[in-house]
Amino acid sequence: MSEAIVQIEGLTKQYRGTLLPAISEITLSIPSGAIYGLLGPNGAGKSTMVMMMCGLMKPNAGSLSILGMDANTHGAEIRKRIGVAPQEIALFHSLTAYENLNYFGRMYGLKAKMIQSSIENYLEVFGLKDKAHKRVHTFSGGMKRRLNLIAALLHEPTLLILDEPTAGVDVQSRNMVVDFLQQLKLKGVTIIYSSHFLEEAERICTHLAILDEGKLIVEGMPGNVMEQHSDCKNLEALFLKLTGKNIRD
Amino acid sequence: MKILATIQKEFLLLIRDLGGMALIFLMPLMLVVVMALIQDAPFRDYQEMKLEVLFADEDKDSLGQKIENAFETAGNIQLLHENDTAQLKRFVLSGKYKAAIIIPKGTSAMLRRKTHNLISQLFANLGKEDSTTFDNKSDGLRVNILFDPAIKANYKQVLSNGLEKVIANVQSEWILDELQIQLSEGTTVKTKSKIDLTQLVTVKEYQLSQKQEELKLNSVQHNVPAWTMFAMFFILFPLAGNFIKEREEGSMLRLRLISGSQFPVIAGKFSFYFLVCLLQFMLMIAVGIYLMPVLGLNQLQLGNNAFGIILTACCVAMAATGYGLLIAVFFNTPQQALSFGSVSVVILAALGGVWVPVYVMPEVLQKISYWSPLNWGLEAFINLFLRGASTKAILPELIKLVGFAMVTLAASVFIHKSRTIIN
Repeated sequence: MSEAIVQIEGLTKQYRGTLLPAISEITLSIPSGAIYGLLGPNGAGKSTMVMMMCGLMKPNAGSLSILGMDANTHGAEIRKRIGVAPQEIALFHSLTAYENLNYFGRMYGLKAKMIQSSIENYLEVFGLKDKAHKRVHTFSGGMKRRLNLIAALLHEPTLLILDEPTAGVDVQSRNMVVDFLQQLKLKGVTIIYSSHFLEEAERICTHLAILDEGKLIVEGMPGNVMEQHSDCKNLEALFLKLTGKNIRD
Repeated sequence: MKILATIQKEFLLLIRDLGGMALIFLMPLMLVVVMALIQDAPFRDYQEMKLEVLFADEDKDSLGQKIENAFETAGNIQLLHENDTAQLKRFVLSGKYKAAIIIPKGTSAMLRRKTHNLISQLFANLGKEDSTTFDNKSDGLRVNILFDPAIKANYKQVLSNGLEKVIANVQSEWILDELQIQLSEGTTVKTKSKIDLTQLVTVKEYQLSQKQEELKLNSVQHNVPAWTMFAMFFILFPLAGNFIKEREEGSMLRLRLISGSQFPVIAGKFSFYFLVCLLQFMLMIAVGIYLMPVLGLNQLQLGNNAFGIILTACCVAMAATGYGLLIAVFFNTPQQALSFGSVSVVILAALGGVWVPVYVMPEVLQKISYWSPLNWGLEAFINLFLRGASTKAILPELIKLVGFAMVTLAASVFIHKSRTIIN
């Protein structure tokens, strides 16, 4: 791991009409080639962070640099080199898996040959080859989630941002996704991974940050973080210790 | 490439949406057929009126016969004999017949007497006859017309005017007869000349355009272009519906995450629905030409400016798609977009003269109607179909339609882009 692919300094975002900021003076850096776990309870500010990283939301204060470019001014260039799998199943449900991927590939501006080979490759990897020509609305939750991830990978991004990539999927699908992310890491792709599955995060993340109420509570390598809180037997215990047991909406 | 990809994607989405397909093609088809059939009678009222009128001739003299002959020639009023005046009044009162004409007993004799007296008076004034020889006390001549209270004002006027015209003609004829009689007194000439006064001046209708055959605004000529435009503007239903659905389902978010995809997305959608609008137009025109005559209606006449028609269809399609796109990007939920969209199109259609021609609207509404894009399109089509207008003549309407399309498209792109980046 080397220089930071994402550099955040004093990042603050407050939505109009709200009393408290969604993100408050966050400073962190994400090293290139890391699987960076962005963790936190509901309303912690994870999605706001992801939106700002994608250049879809402007911060009120602070700076955000991705791949050496200011996200505020170079959003379009940054989006060319990042892949995002949003929490929503961002697919056309009336189209088949192939049609979806073909369309998104064309919108990325990829050449037909590359689209074709990428689609075939990823459908194979994610066990969806025989479902290529089935419409998405007939897919199970796990299949949709996998296809949602493939759509973010077609253009071979340098940075992959995944918002709850394994939400609502069975153990087998989750394992498949996690294994794939580890292979991707080996190829040098940096992954920002936002999830509620702490066990999974502990297993795959090389770095993690826990956010709560818009503030960065803890950040670092999982081993180092756990060492600082030796009274916690695992990440979940640490998470509850830092964010409390109150239910969040 | 990206625009083409979006067009192909929209095509796939639409052909898999049977409800949307029905809304785009089947609903307008049914609408145009039903409206043309319903409005056929009112249009015929104005232009091909046929009125059955009861006729009681108590006079049994020449006036009744002349009235009967005159209406028979005119063709649009058919007299039905009913000698029982009590029954005749009941029929009219019950609305079974819209009107009745009663010629009281002795009307012809009275008209003759009045004519004789009139001429005698004229001669007396010229000193050619003794003023004491004519009777000045004859009563006023009266032919009675009964009307159903529910009869339309224009029917009433047509019948009254027609009857007055016939009586005036008869009177003129008899005045001439009487003049000939009085002038021939003391001469050897005994044969009266027949002079047809109705032929002295005739009113002849000329077509302004030599290329145009005799063509009138009928139900088909009005309803096909009018409801076609209405249907084209209803493209906002599938357009806005799909757009907001994509936004809600998240696929729009992915497109926002793809660099530089906003313009191709909007332009692709615009292009696809523009083509759908043109397809709707062709379907409706085909219905007007081939289906309407099968249903007993007039065949749609397109005039002779094919280029102008295609150009107008393109301009209307652009305006309709632009409006649909604006509704789609502006509103957040399908309920808001579709409710506002449908009501606004109905209002624009009503103001634009889709239901009733603009010239029969109150003056205030006529002024407002100039702001309806449906009015611009309808005016252009009527000018092309009925008035044989040149492309230059319809250019002001086309410019307004294209301007409207450009403004709505620009606003759509601006709103969509502004919502891509949240400040």
